[in-house]
Amino acid sequence: MTTVASSDRHGPLGALVGELRKLPAFVRRDFIVAWSYRLPFVGDWLGLVLQAFMFYFVGLMVDESKLPTFGGSQVSYLEFVAVGIAMSAFITLALGRVASGMQQEQFAGTLESLLMTPTSPATVQLGSVVYDLIYIPIRTAVFLVVIAVAFGLDFHLDGLLPAAVVLLAFIPFVWGLGIASAGTTLTFRRGSGIVGLGSTVLVLFSGAYYPLDLLPGWLATLAEGNPITIAVDGMREPLLAGSGWEGIGTAILVLVPLSAVSLTAGALVFRACLRRERRRGTLGLY
Amino acid sequence: MALLGPNGAGKTTLVRVLTGLVKPDAGTARVLGIETWDCPRELRAAMGLVPSGDRSLYLRISGLENLVFFGRLNGMSRREATARGRELLEIVGLADSARLRSGFYSHGMQKRLSIARALLTRPRVLLIDEATHDLDPAAASAVRDLVRGIADEGAAVLWATQRIEEIRGFADGVTLLREGQAVFQGTVSQLIALAVPRRYVLRLRNGYDSAGQALEPLVRDAVGGRAEIASAEDGDPQDYLLHLAEDAVLGEVLASLTAANVDVLACREERSEIENAYLNLAGGGS
Repeated sequence: MTTVASSDRHGPLGALVGELRKLPAFVRRDFIVAWSYRLPFVGDWLGLVLQAFMFYFVGLMVDESKLPTFGGSQVSYLEFVAVGIAMSAFITLALGRVASGMQQEQFAGTLESLLMTPTSPATVQLGSVVYDLIYIPIRTAVFLVVIAVAFGLDFHLDGLLPAAVVLLAFIPFVWGLGIASAGTTLTFRRGSGIVGLGSTVLVLFSGAYYPLDLLPGWLATLAEGNPITIAVDGMREPLLAGSGWEGIGTAILVLVPLSAVSLTAGALVFRACLRRERRRGTLGLY
Repeated sequence: MALLGPNGAGKTTLVRVLTGLVKPDAGTARVLGIETWDCPRELRAAMGLVPSGDRSLYLRISGLENLVFFGRLNGMSRREATARGRELLEIVGLADSARLRSGFYSHGMQKRLSIARALLTRPRVLLIDEATHDLDPAAASAVRDLVRGIADEGAAVLWATQRIEEIRGFADGVTLLREGQAVFQGTVSQLIALAVPRRYVLRLRNGYDSAGQALEPLVRDAVGGRAEIASAEDGDPQDYLLHLAEDAVLGEVLASLTAANVDVLACREERSEIENAYLNLAGGGS
């Protein structure tokens, strides 16, 4: 009898390529699973549209003079908040899915079967969320385009690409937090509540739904260092002010190292938690 | 090789140690000469695991998609994984259900799919944990035939079970576990040789007068202190359970019954010899 050759024999690069080639299998699996739940799939999009309608009507009551100007122009509340809605939905969804991805495998009883394959735990972790990491940014972008067309929002089309780059630079930050959360959830079985609370606090003090100027001075200063604030502002600049690539420089400079730190720390926490569970023999328990 | 033991004996833990999913508290475990903790990928590719229970599959995707997914995690291309998946579904008799969601499979079908998954890499070692505990006799027999065929092709098979009737005529060797300790290692014949049956079911008839004298007092007088006798639990008035005293000899007891004009119509061990051996060694005998 023969065994399947491991990609390890082709060196670290071959092993990495071998691992990356496994990711489409996860994407296909999760797409089939998502498609098998059609109602929640449609409900997710419907919820987002209804949220946009709600903010449209809230926007009719808002005094626009209290909103910040972008590129010297006054923006409507819906224009201001659309990026915030998209980003908060992105963060909530991505963080939740990354944090719970491995736990879902635990619940389903498939985690040990996955780890029995010659696949690295890092690939298993990434694989369990790669579908969401592709789907959620697309969902965010589609939402922004649809809301812009439906409500006649004055977005700068040439700002779409720079805004997407900011989002891309921000994804590893959320991913890192999610992995760390996934590790602690693997160990302590519960933890999604803390993740939800943490993401709510970060979004609340990010200026996603209201200008930070409305906060007390000290809190506004603190909130300006919030990575979500930096990402939201980084996306608003090119979309609302038309500042193009120049408008995202600061955001990228801050977000890239932050994301690197978050992703590295998250991976280390996850690895430590996984080793602990394997040592204790409680990997399959939940 | 059968791994036999009652609930809690440590069978599943040992299987998980051998797969590298759990670190042993002390000592080391080796499969194919390779230490299993921090199990290298080559070893994982050379081992197949059929876990206990049926929650190790993705129930929202088809049987074929399950195999393709795990095949790709084992380093196969999509084309290779699909071809191997179809081949295995044919072998385990699920070709007609290839496109059916595995959640709609019966327990027996899911178990066969689980075996097909374990065979994806043509493993040299197959670890099977309680493969038939929840299957009807026909499905259990089909699974055993499948595994016997795999062993005939040269794979080493470790079959963990608590159902001793499964191993007669099936396993070449047996290890009996009790509270984490191996209390017996040898062939099934050697295990049976350890059986010391003391309990028998007798079918008796009153030789004097079938309608007259009560049988039980007569039988008690005949066996004296050499055995305890009581009506059998099957409710048949002719059946009695005979429990021999420590030094009593069955032949002498039967002879004394005959001498008392009690016809012994049948005599059989209450348990099979293999069951007696198992209970003696596993500590559940009486």
